[in-house]
Amino acid sequence: MNLKVRMVGRVWAVPSLLAITLGGSLAWSQATNSTSATSTGASAWQWSNVSIDLPTSDSAFPPGDGAELTPQCLICHSAGMVLRQPPLTRDQWVDEINKMRSAYGAPLPADQVDHLADYLFRINGSSPSDTAAHDGDR
Amino acid sequence: MPRGRGVQHRSDSAIRHGLAVKRGFCMHRPTLMPTPMSRRSFLLRASAAGTTGLMGAWGWKAPAATLVELPFANGQREIVTNFPQKGAMVLLRTRPPLLETAFEVFDHGVFTPNDRFYVRWHLANIPTTIDTGAFRLNVRGHVREQLSLTLDDLVREFQPFEIAAVNQCSGNSRGFFKPRVPGGEWANGAMGNALWRGARLKDVLDRAGVKARALQVRFNGLDTGVIPQTPDFMKSLALDHARDGEVMIAYAMNGEPLPLLNGFPLRLVVPGWYATYWVKMLNDIEILDKADDNFWTAKAYLIPDTPYANVVPGQQSVRMIPINRMVPRSFFTNVQDGAVLKVGQTTKLRGIAFGGDAAVAKVFFSSDAGSQWKEARLGPDRGKYGFRRWEVSLRPSSPGPQRLMIKAQNTAGSVQPNQANWNGAGFMRNVIESVSVSVQSV
Repeated sequence: MNLKVRMVGRVWAVPSLLAITLGGSLAWSQATNSTSATSTGASAWQWSNVSIDLPTSDSAFPPGDGAELTPQCLICHSAGMVLRQPPLTRDQWVDEINKMRSAYGAPLPADQVDHLADYLFRINGSSPSDTAAHDGDR
Repeated sequence: MPRGRGVQHRSDSAIRHGLAVKRGFCMHRPTLMPTPMSRRSFLLRASAAGTTGLMGAWGWKAPAATLVELPFANGQREIVTNFPQKGAMVLLRTRPPLLETAFEVFDHGVFTPNDRFYVRWHLANIPTTIDTGAFRLNVRGHVREQLSLTLDDLVREFQPFEIAAVNQCSGNSRGFFKPRVPGGEWANGAMGNALWRGARLKDVLDRAGVKARALQVRFNGLDTGVIPQTPDFMKSLALDHARDGEVMIAYAMNGEPLPLLNGFPLRLVVPGWYATYWVKMLNDIEILDKADDNFWTAKAYLIPDTPYANVVPGQQSVRMIPINRMVPRSFFTNVQDGAVLKVGQTTKLRGIAFGGDAAVAKVFFSSDAGSQWKEARLGPDRGKYGFRRWEVSLRPSSPGPQRLMIKAQNTAGSVQPNQANWNGAGFMRNVIESVSVSVQSV
């Protein structure tokens, strides 16, 4: 199993329940396909704690002039979010960077926006005239 | 500029992890899906086949992972199985997680399994341990009595309520926008349908006793930004909506606890509304006596106040409003572009539909690019806000290319549009879906 779920605390000991195998933390003792609300069965519910590990990203920004600024991006999100954007114009990259700064508080100084935009445009850029070509029917 | 440029970088990581060797494997498909760049190549038959027919026949060892190519620029995605409580998912972003449901999952039934249900987090500071004994759901603000409910309180002291409802990201299908827009570049798999069980929000609010001047209800979960400057993710609903008897606090999803990544232990369920309102790891409900001005409600998730939230790219001075009710959609689930059908042979086509904020009334099928439409047969009704199965039989009479289309109409009369909508955020796509097939002589 790839799951990294581990149970901590109490585990509800009803062996027939599938839910428990995935770190299930709540279960009831009968089939749960009922479609109507009912007030019965509440006493059969048990909660138990859940603890998981989240995987770390293996995506990385490619090297190049400006890549030294990308740790600013990685404070809040992995590189894959940037690399999986559609190719953007340089102006669109400037807008994205400024959104990260103004809306989400990215601590990138204003005088480094252009440098980072140049880099992002170089690794995943599109000139305005490319747009149609990128997005034509396929 | 070459289209594949960004893809190169992404494949670097794949190569480092030994994924590139078997890459071609993902292009093998069963009969109905033969073209490499077809619209739903991400149906991921490959990963399904990887554990059954093809693998068995060839005696293969499983590759470390599979790559798929979504049909838009920079659409290469890795299929990952390393997220807790999740099976094979389409990786859009590792941190904070954005995981898409492989589209083939929707062919298996109208309820989306919890371990294949898509995942979308805004902020990376997500608790990875939940102490269910210590957890409290607080209800505060303009109420007569503040509440601090344990999970057992919620289960035992409120009438259980169940409802089937589609949870769909506002930006589901964003990757298909033309021209493209930045954001989470989903294909059509940022949605799922589940049977939710929990307590009605109305009952919880009634216990707290909402005061007369209350206006909105704001919901907050345990996730926070990594840095204090990032606005905490919160969403608000109008009080009347919050008290409609359908908005609920779910503690179970398809008969099991929610996966942590889908919001364990509690998630707000807002039937018929986009998922941005379905706050995960819900632990705080605040009743407000004025309009919520927090970033995520007042400034994010805004749509043009136009039909289908549609504008012309570059259009200025459009009134913007918070995204709200979902619109109808329908999909083919067992056929995709490039499928080969035979003259005179009957093929059963099927898929799913949902009505948005109203039930599916009818689903229409066209086998001639939309000139003529006929009603599809509908499967059992499992709830007005859920997925509904549709099915048609098609017996082509002559060879050649054929364009199949599917559209849903809901009981409020809303019908999927012929033209795709466009807006700068990539929200609310619901254009009629189509599939191009080739009919061949027997």
